[in-house]
Amino acid sequence: MLRNRTMLAGLTITLVVLFGVTAGAALMPYSAETMDFIDVLEPPSLAHPLGTDSFGRDVLTRVLVGGRISLVISLCGVALAAVLGTLTGMAAAWRGGATETALMGLVDLLFAFPSFVLALFLMVVLGYGVQDVALAIALVYFPIFARLARNLTRVLRDEPYVQAARLIGQPAPMILAREILPNILSALMVQASIAIAFGVVIEAGLSFLGLGVQPPTPSLGVIMADGREYFQKAPWVLTLTGLAVSVALLGLNLLGDGLRDLADPKLRQALRA
Amino acid sequence: MDVRALTQGGVRRALVLAATLIAGALAVFFAMKAAPGDPALTALGENARPDLVAAFRHAHHLDLPVSAQFALWIGGAARGDFGQSLTLAGGVPVASLIATRLPVTAFIGAYALVLAVALSLVIGTVSALQRGRLADTIGTSFAVLGVSMPDFWLGYVLIFFLALNFPVFPSYGFVSPTASLRGALLSGFLPALAIAAPMAAVFARTLRAALLEVLHREYVTVARSLGFGPRFVFFHYVMRNALIPYVTVLGLQVRYLLGGVVVIERIFGIPGMGSLMVDGAFGRDYPVVQACALTFLAIVLLTNLLVDALCARLDPRRAA
Repeated sequence: MLRNRTMLAGLTITLVVLFGVTAGAALMPYSAETMDFIDVLEPPSLAHPLGTDSFGRDVLTRVLVGGRISLVISLCGVALAAVLGTLTGMAAAWRGGATETALMGLVDLLFAFPSFVLALFLMVVLGYGVQDVALAIALVYFPIFARLARNLTRVLRDEPYVQAARLIGQPAPMILAREILPNILSALMVQASIAIAFGVVIEAGLSFLGLGVQPPTPSLGVIMADGREYFQKAPWVLTLTGLAVSVALLGLNLLGDGLRDLADPKLRQALRA
Repeated sequence: MDVRALTQGGVRRALVLAATLIAGALAVFFAMKAAPGDPALTALGENARPDLVAAFRHAHHLDLPVSAQFALWIGGAARGDFGQSLTLAGGVPVASLIATRLPVTAFIGAYALVLAVALSLVIGTVSALQRGRLADTIGTSFAVLGVSMPDFWLGYVLIFFLALNFPVFPSYGFVSPTASLRGALLSGFLPALAIAAPMAAVFARTLRAALLEVLHREYVTVARSLGFGPRFVFFHYVMRNALIPYVTVLGLQVRYLLGGVVVIERIFGIPGMGSLMVDGAFGRDYPVVQACALTFLAIVLLTNLLVDALCARLDPRRAA
């Protein structure tokens, strides 16, 4: 019962956040760029629920716009990681032998780098920008999806319906696409929902350090880095932006947890690893 | 125990470790070579005199073919020589930079790990034993909250609420443990806590789930029916078995812990490996970034080895 209730809470938060980042900015009376040099660094009020920044811009509007930017970056990165990782993992598990050893060796190598170190390293190699952050997120999550897809495929490889498809002579890509993929998709989606939350944290962290999205693009990390500049004078910009991010991630995490509990029990073990 | 099988396993692991490190070095080196920008121009400025650029290239072996550069670099790295810093500290050997920074990161990382383990042991155990009651709800809520807060933001909130109200914890800077252990523990507390909070959350969830699973095993019921005290049953039957998944997750999370160290060091102004790598990234100091990435890789690989050994000790079935 409790599980269902927390999952419902997660779903509600996620829906509110999704509505906020898609339609919210349009409903606000301000724009993310309009400067107002009379209301500079105003504390939270009814007119500005999260206060204003050093250019007099409404922080809530910026967070809604920034949330969309960060979420899209994370979504693109995770989608790329999920597609490449799933293909790699499924191919490795299906072929086995030397192919599996080689592919998973590469995956394990990537997996052994601390995630943020890998992202940071990539930013130096690629340069700083929106696409580069998305690519860095993709590379951080690629090994996770590859491992998951490989473990899941291994579990299902010897199932009777897969064996049957093999016996009637279906080609391997068709078996993988039509018999195995539909059965591991839900587990991959659960992982993706959690990865999207952490992708937002990676974006925010990189941009916060100044090594990710560059201003004036208002991603969540950029807004928080901005708030750090005048943290002593106006602590609410950084504090409340981070709080908003935490609530959004809380929603995604609760939803992900709930989905994980609903996942096929046979595959649950692989999800946890 | 079969000593020969153990040493064979040890040798195989050492070989895999060495191969992974070499593969990592290859990947790091060639990715760096593909990076845009000319290290010589980065170090000397865009309008440097051509003869100076040529001399710089020659001094840092940048005029050699890439494969020869790699051979030189990895040969040096094997002997602990990572070349010279280009922009951060022109001409200073990277190895000596790392030698001064690594102990600081090791201290902060270990501090964070100890905090995370202590917090999670308490929270995980209490939630499992008080399942469904208030303490469990509080504990599991903390666990979900902990993973939802970005660590760098938590660092700032800690500075804002703790450091500014309790001057015992400095908000910036770090005292070396060799200078003053008390100073190091105090100045490292907030950064370590910021890194530890999300870790503690993950560990506590793992421990709670593992304890709940073991609590209802038949051998626990048998032990109880044999008349062993609850404390004895808990420590010898329940905890002992729940620790195996716990330690495994501990090992898996070390890479996230080190990732957190990178950001947090920078925020709290701690002169460790993380801030070295970030400074290197800003200055496009390629040898420094390369060496840092490889050092972090080595730390993770060594920790994995340690965790595997620990798991084998905890779970004799796995040692075979």
